[in-house]
Amino acid sequence: MNTTRTELLLPRRMTTTAVLDALSSRLSLDEGTGTQRDRRYYDTFDGLLRAAGVAFVHESGRLALVSIDDGVERAGLPAPEPPERVFAAELEPGPLRDALLPIIEVRALLPLMHIHSAQRGFGVLDADAKTVVRLALDAPEVVASPNRRLALAPRIRIEAVRGYGKALTRVRKTLIDDLGLTAADRSVLDEAVIATGATPGGVSSKVDIALARDQRSDVAVASVLRPLAAIMESNLPGTIADIDSEFLHDYRVAVRRSRAVMRELKGVFPAEQLAHFRVELRWLQQVTGPSRDLDVYVLDFDELRSGLPEPSRSDLEPLLRVLRDRRTIAHREMVRALRSDRAGGLRSQWPAFLNELVTMAPEGRPAAARPIGELAGERITKVYRRMVKTGRAIDDSSPPEALHELRKQGKELRYLLELFGLPLHPGEVVKPFVRALKSLQDTLGAHQDREVQIATLRSLRDEVSTLRGGAGALMAMGVLIEHLGGDERAARAEFAQRFASFASRSQRALVRETFSS
Amino acid sequence: MSRVLATYNIKGGVGKTSAAVNLAYLAARGGAKTLLWDLDPQGASTYLFRVRPKVRGGVRKLVHRKSAVEKLIKGTDHERLDLLPADFSYRHMDLALDAAKHSNDRLALVLEPLRAEYEYIFLDCPPSISLVSENVFEAADTLLVPIIPATLSSRTFEQLEELVRGGPQVLAFFSMVEVRKSLHREVMAKLRAAHVTMLGAAIPSADEVERMGVDRTVVAEIAPGGRAALAYEALWWDVRRRLGAPAGAAPGAPPGAPPAAPPGAPPAHPPAG
Repeated sequence: MNTTRTELLLPRRMTTTAVLDALSSRLSLDEGTGTQRDRRYYDTFDGLLRAAGVAFVHESGRLALVSIDDGVERAGLPAPEPPERVFAAELEPGPLRDALLPIIEVRALLPLMHIHSAQRGFGVLDADAKTVVRLALDAPEVVASPNRRLALAPRIRIEAVRGYGKALTRVRKTLIDDLGLTAADRSVLDEAVIATGATPGGVSSKVDIALARDQRSDVAVASVLRPLAAIMESNLPGTIADIDSEFLHDYRVAVRRSRAVMRELKGVFPAEQLAHFRVELRWLQQVTGPSRDLDVYVLDFDELRSGLPEPSRSDLEPLLRVLRDRRTIAHREMVRALRSDRAGGLRSQWPAFLNELVTMAPEGRPAAARPIGELAGERITKVYRRMVKTGRAIDDSSPPEALHELRKQGKELRYLLELFGLPLHPGEVVKPFVRALKSLQDTLGAHQDREVQIATLRSLRDEVSTLRGGAGALMAMGVLIEHLGGDERAARAEFAQRFASFASRSQRALVRETFSS
Repeated sequence: MSRVLATYNIKGGVGKTSAAVNLAYLAARGGAKTLLWDLDPQGASTYLFRVRPKVRGGVRKLVHRKSAVEKLIKGTDHERLDLLPADFSYRHMDLALDAAKHSNDRLALVLEPLRAEYEYIFLDCPPSISLVSENVFEAADTLLVPIIPATLSSRTFEQLEELVRGGPQVLAFFSMVEVRKSLHREVMAKLRAAHVTMLGAAIPSADEVERMGVDRTVVAEIAPGGRAALAYEALWWDVRRRLGAPAGAAPGAPPGAPPAAPPGAPPAHPPAG
């Protein structure tokens, strides 16, 4: 195995000096100049880069995206100082931006770890004093704060020199077989994260809970809602600080999923508390809504604008200004609400309630002790049937509200399927079902988004018209409204076909078989 | 896509290998992945990089593309700088080329699979006018021509320009210059005035250039900051400027790498004109 780069760890109780002594007696080593390295690693809050097998690092005036397994740089850019935060879309066009954008999309890269290390470099020489393998002895430490450093295990890195495969094999053999070094199974970055007490991979906004069909429903529901509450909590600081748009998005998805669980599985909750928390979570959803809508507007602006002919695109600048201003105001109002006593109370009461749920008196909670497999199956079947009924009633003359209603039911079904369907039923049935639902929802979503966009554009006309360049912007907005109307009609035309496959005879039979038992 | 630069002169002993080795080193030090192909069967640049002058399969397989050229490359002691070594069989390269189809662009074809990987490819050519040089003219984007400022050098230069007319860009520079010799100064002034493709930087005749063969490394390591090292830096800056590359440090320049700007006044650079 001759990979270009391997990192090895020393056996217990072996010092770096001992390794070097042992190596010098077996190989001809030439020590180069030592270096001090300062690597500052970045990742998104939810660890998208690590999940993609890459790391983003600032070192010696350069930002680079490197592969975790072999350390090879995929793309880079000069950057004299380590940045505070990086958005792919804001990097100058080039390979680094192209490599990052598909991985992190709109997420911000935030400082994750600062690793300082003293490194000694060695060349393994052949008979002509030619370097045939490079070795680097690295003593890394995490710079946790200006005066707190955590030492990590020293590492020896073997780097191949092209065309000297045999020498590489020999050096690896010496280090591993003779001296007992072992390949590091974790990257130095992961080691650093663990040393600070955190978990590598960031904070996920996914719920992945194992459930059993015969589990009590209140136990199952609580075990699904608790991680959702934790997701809300972990995304709150980033939402308030406006780090990137996904904090708020993930926060709202967690709220919406929690509400869907409460609505669909009412029978496991005591009525009074249920009513209270439903009101409170709906309130959270409402106070965060305008900010999210405007986030989407600003994020989609370029795409929206690309619907215009090239020369009129700049005409829309006044609209973007209005949207940004509104977004700032909406964000401020949202932050006020999220910092209010009402929200603060909810932050502590809601998780406390979830912890107590299973020990609460069974009276007034008729479904609490029922097996979750049965209860969730019932609800999934019920919501599906309701959707089939609603969808069938939709024809060309139906108002947009009918499609909107169907979409809301679809969200409910999707959350039930993701939170309970997948952990309790065979993936090969549930996954295609979720896909069919998703494709229907995309069409319904496109329809509704266009509808909302048109309404928003109309509502902004007065404000835009008062700005400099307002007249041009109004004309461009008129063209946009026309385009959006076209998209809306296209989505509507697509609906019938998507719905037909979602509500097909075979799909209905499959739902009956899977969830009714 | 890489830039192919060949150090070439019809005459031998004019500083071709020294230029190829030191310029390739500077290109790599500036952050560019660089390959040097030692085409000279004597294998001087291969020797300087301490690599064994051996190409598995020899020249015949190489020019007929029966060997995977990627596998013949050796890493040097310098980061980002690789070598395609010389082989004693290169002395029959003319014959091998002659026996192949498209005998004029065989070397270009051999380089083809490497052009995506390397930003610069240097060819260190044997002195001659032959099928090998025809191939070099075909493969290279630029010929770097070292010229000793002596009486016949102007004639050499003109002959060469005639030879490659319509082919690669020709950039000549003075090599093995002894500024104390008035003849050198006169010839340099005359040639610079007559040829716009004559570069400003000039390589002095210096001890450290001769020491390369003893220490088996580049002048920047033998005498960093010395006359020859500075002159090669100035030459590389000048070449890059003519190639249209940005004059600042290349993207990817490692920390501490000096910017590719010309040092104050190259010592072997007497006032032109």
